[in-house]
Amino acid sequence: MHGPINEVIQFIDLSAYSIMFLVLVGFVGGLVSGFIGSGGAFVLTPAMMSLGVPGTVAVASNMCHKFPKALVGAVKRYKYGQVDIKLGIIMGLFAEIGVQIGVMLQKHILDTWGPAASNLYVSFIFVCVLVIVGSIVMRDALTAKKAGGATSEPLLARRIQKIQLWPMISFKTANLRISMWFLVPVALATGMLAATIAVGGFIGVPGLMYIIGATSIVASATELVIAFVMGLGGTLLWAYYGMVDIRLVLLILGGSLFGVQLGAIGTTYVKEYMIKYVMGTIMLIVAVSRFFAIPKYLNNLNLTSVDPDSVVIMTRISFSVMCFALLIGATIILVSLFRARSLEKAVA
Amino acid sequence: MVQPLLENFPANRTTQLDREGNTSAAPGMKKKSFILVVTRNGHMAEPVMDYAITVADRLKYAILAVHTNTLPFFRDGGERNRLFAAAMQESSALFRQKAEARDVQVEHTGETGKIGKIVKRLCHTEKRIEFVIIDQGIRMEEVTSMAPVPVFSVIYTRSKAGAMTTHSNPMNTGDSRMSTTSRKRHVKNCFVFGGLTAGLYAAVFSHPDIIMTYLTKGGFYALLPVAVVLTVSYMHGNFTNSFWAALGIEGSNVKAPKQADVRQEKTDVPTVKKDTRPRAQVSA
Repeated sequence: MHGPINEVIQFIDLSAYSIMFLVLVGFVGGLVSGFIGSGGAFVLTPAMMSLGVPGTVAVASNMCHKFPKALVGAVKRYKYGQVDIKLGIIMGLFAEIGVQIGVMLQKHILDTWGPAASNLYVSFIFVCVLVIVGSIVMRDALTAKKAGGATSEPLLARRIQKIQLWPMISFKTANLRISMWFLVPVALATGMLAATIAVGGFIGVPGLMYIIGATSIVASATELVIAFVMGLGGTLLWAYYGMVDIRLVLLILGGSLFGVQLGAIGTTYVKEYMIKYVMGTIMLIVAVSRFFAIPKYLNNLNLTSVDPDSVVIMTRISFSVMCFALLIGATIILVSLFRARSLEKAVA
Repeated sequence: MVQPLLENFPANRTTQLDREGNTSAAPGMKKKSFILVVTRNGHMAEPVMDYAITVADRLKYAILAVHTNTLPFFRDGGERNRLFAAAMQESSALFRQKAEARDVQVEHTGETGKIGKIVKRLCHTEKRIEFVIIDQGIRMEEVTSMAPVPVFSVIYTRSKAGAMTTHSNPMNTGDSRMSTTSRKRHVKNCFVFGGLTAGLYAAVFSHPDIIMTYLTKGGFYALLPVAVVLTVSYMHGNFTNSFWAALGIEGSNVKAPKQADVRQEKTDVPTVKKDTRPRAQVSA
């Protein structure tokens, strides 16, 4: 099957601008991923497409850069004692199943209602998940900030952990014991979201925090293991069809591995609620960006008749807002990191 | 674990000589209780020394300071062992100097092997060790699982320890310090892995056509891009890690109490149940 696809794929020529752009976006994306466990990938696919990379190659190359980045981030954060490998691998394997379900669901929508409906579905999920989950995360972060950084285990997680349903699994680093039946839905949802919007962590990390009961530090670090398992599976699949442009992957990795190290270092300095704060901020700003993309899809479905020029402008605004979200996240991380470092030095 | 073949490193238990040439274990010391202070670093942190001396002074205890070389067979031609021994000499002299100022007796020993086993052995052979103080870099569980006496750690910031170590270095003989070698190692790794990464990138981008032909063939050739990115993640990952470390940007050393520890404390506290069993009553 890979032969025919390979023949029609056009790999782009790289200019100095596109090289710089990819390294820079990779760095910022890596910084955010190292800190909150995921979140850099959603900008990279449209960023590559804006350079003229075909959609499938952009998705495949994004996937291929994600798992080594997650690996490096996970190793770094494991050294800080933040990663629960067992939790990450179990969740990652079920998330892989979730990815397949997500792909099938999207294929079904595509076959039944066409590409515009598929895009509308993606945007709808984007907005729903980001607004709802982002608001919860942000509210929790602001509450913790007001309380001076003190956080308590969420009520839902405490109740779920009390339910003794076979098979019960203990996680040493996360310091929790929970039935596998509660891990599976979170992992499946993570995989399905990853297949839909390319960032499973927007469900995975809050799920680990509020349903499973891990701390935000452990949740964001363990998400890197989940991303590695999912990314490796996805990459093998895309590479089987010859879709990975290794040049793009290496350029993005060139920046993102610097970023992911710095993001991981940042988690050792900041208070726990900062991870939620950065995540909530990015999710809510990205949700705004998707509002600007919806008119285009409604036009394609002949549900609205917005002026095409306005649609083009709105699509550009949508991408710019996404980049803005990532930059804001990266700025908060860097400022928090260097402020905390100087405070630590001053106290000493 | 005894390592008698190492040069500049005490074979097992070696009592340091004080300035008068006598052993620091005074005649009346045997009757005293000891505080065992353990470090795995060449230089014991000064906050740990200060804390141990203060407590020993208050309780009228003596101190048994143990420098543990946990990597005696490190493959660097004995360089690490030599540096460790030199650092230990400096550190023990500083400790003795500090202790003399407070009239506290200090005995030093150099050990090799696993910390937990050493603490266990010393607690059983010395008999009068009342509790253990551990330096940073030693896991609490490693010692508590083996020690028959209470174990304490001293929380201090890295820069505080660093600032305090600068004012006294009485036995510096020109040897490079262990902390310095760590920084050098990062710079060295930075160049080694940076070079390897640059080589790999140069190989890919100088022959893009050949690389792209093979890596986009699909099928079993799918393993090629995965292998390439895994190699990059190893080389470039190590390079970026060393890069930030060489610039001095490393993870914080101030450890917040882990959630696990907090929960552990909760479970450790025994719940006192009201005794509802019937009691014999005496009625006159």
